[in-house]
Amino acid sequence: MNIYTPNKVTITNIIEETPAIKTFVFKPGSAFSFETGQFVELTYPGIGEAPFTPSSDPNKKDSFEVTIMKVGKVTELFHKAKVGDELGVRGPFGNGYPLDSFKDKELLIVGGGVGLAPLRSLIYALYNRINDFKKIVICLGARSPQDIVYKYLLEEFKKPKNVEFRLTVDRADSSWKGNVGIVTTLLNKLPIDTKQAKGIVCGPPIMMKFASLKLLELGFSPKNIHLSMEKNMSCGLGKCGHCRLGKYYICKDGPVFIFDDIKDMWDIWD
Amino acid sequence: MISKYFYIKNNNFIKLLDNLSADYRVFIPQETRKNYFWKKYKGNFEFSRYRTVNPLRQFFTSSVEHINNYFNPKTPKETKPFCIVGAKACDLGNSLKMHDYVFLEGDIDLFYKEMRDKNLIISSDCTSFKETCFCLALGNMPYPEALFDLNISQVIDGYLVEVGSKKGEEIITSNKSLFEDANNKIQAEREANRKRTVEEFKSQINSLDFPDESRLNSLIKNGYGDKLWAEEALRCVECGACIMNCPTCHCFLLFDTKDKNGYFKGRIWDGCQYKNFTRVAGGASALRLREYRLRNRYIKKFEFFPERIKVYACTGCGRCAESCPGKIDIRKIFKTLNENSKTVKK
Repeated sequence: MNIYTPNKVTITNIIEETPAIKTFVFKPGSAFSFETGQFVELTYPGIGEAPFTPSSDPNKKDSFEVTIMKVGKVTELFHKAKVGDELGVRGPFGNGYPLDSFKDKELLIVGGGVGLAPLRSLIYALYNRINDFKKIVICLGARSPQDIVYKYLLEEFKKPKNVEFRLTVDRADSSWKGNVGIVTTLLNKLPIDTKQAKGIVCGPPIMMKFASLKLLELGFSPKNIHLSMEKNMSCGLGKCGHCRLGKYYICKDGPVFIFDDIKDMWDIWD
Repeated sequence: MISKYFYIKNNNFIKLLDNLSADYRVFIPQETRKNYFWKKYKGNFEFSRYRTVNPLRQFFTSSVEHINNYFNPKTPKETKPFCIVGAKACDLGNSLKMHDYVFLEGDIDLFYKEMRDKNLIISSDCTSFKETCFCLALGNMPYPEALFDLNISQVIDGYLVEVGSKKGEEIITSNKSLFEDANNKIQAEREANRKRTVEEFKSQINSLDFPDESRLNSLIKNGYGDKLWAEEALRCVECGACIMNCPTCHCFLLFDTKDKNGYFKGRIWDGCQYKNFTRVAGGASALRLREYRLRNRYIKKFEFFPERIKVYACTGCGRCAESCPGKIDIRKIFKTLNENSKTVKK
């Protein structure tokens, strides 16, 4: 088997989340499943490939979703794609969130911007077994009200009794009635025992840095902070060398890491 | 089981290469102004005194290649494997070990595997060395001790041939008339030649002030903050010669392309000294400064690989130092790191 060959997937739906972010629903041409937190390489045939973490419920087997922000050459092409177009997928790759280690714990999920994509998948996976967890606090941040992704799901996310949901925007507009400030401003007065709780952080590097530092300040153990790291994975298989961070390959040893394992490395936030 | 050693006369060795040309694309080192380059064998062979300028790995992973025609799979054309004659110890050893780890561990890279299975390596001893050669400083010998199919050592009127693999054994068996038994005198001649080369080489190595090879890992680990990275990186012009010529660099980039036959993925050699190596969508790049990139190269070779497979991803070939237009020299880097490590930091 050629490990670099993508499988065909067909776009069955496209959801416009924000002016720059779309969620694509794919029907895989052959059997495909992933664990929450794992990533895939999506190929725009003949043009290029980029890594994404699926944003859908990992229990859904007949389709999967990827939320894509328009930031470069390949993502711009994805944004021009239409329902019915055929793309390629390789993967899933790497290690996802260690759900079993979250059992019977209190969880704090901190997300920012398009970092919500992997977290949405995680939230589905957690909600599928919601009674396994004592409490889940979800704190999400977006640049502005119009940059909030999955607006139509937020009410659903708030439903379980053991979930507390917080949302903030960096800059409000006249219609916004909620919190204003960066996501770390939501992390005060948490209704959980921070010394025992598990923290899950995903977002742009700068947000992950300050959120992680804030969690430490609040009493979280470095062993209890889970980060979803981003690098420019190319092969996804630990061979091409692009995503190495010290002694790890993000693609193979991650992309989800425990903060304690990587905190002493050089420039992990870049 | 056939014997491990044979003798082959110079004219018979040419016949052997002619015979091998039927099944292999035979490549030999050819000298141009004191440098050797891999060239296709065309009936002449001269023993090379030291390594080629370009590394052996080009015969195991192509610098640019199509690796699939996706959505429309076709069986690729059969091509003859390579027979590489005159590979030196610094292209085998840790180079093949780390390549095997990268491409064969876990998910198997079919392209590399095919090359590794089918290519024939006829290595040879070094009888001299270049100014930048420093394999001895890493504890490696200037003659191949393993990972070859056949090894040839220059002796009177011909070569002493050492069999290193089943594949090598089969070459001997199917070309039996060209080989003779290697008597003790010939074997002793090889040992004397090897000893002489090592002795001559030692004086070059001793003048380097190179730290003991057991300390290279800790020198890098403790040297992240050393000012030398920034100083040395000032002279890096990002040409990538150190990468392309390195026998242990393996990084590549997958790319997509298309033509009338469909969509293709290809791969091209890539490396961490290039500016965009770690750039992600949106513009962030972990190795955005040349000093980070230079240090990263050493971390990969002297920290990552020892951690994974207990070998330095460096064979001491000195090609990086030889090819660098900015005169960034691995030997000087370790010498300086060593000196700086002795100055007490407070």
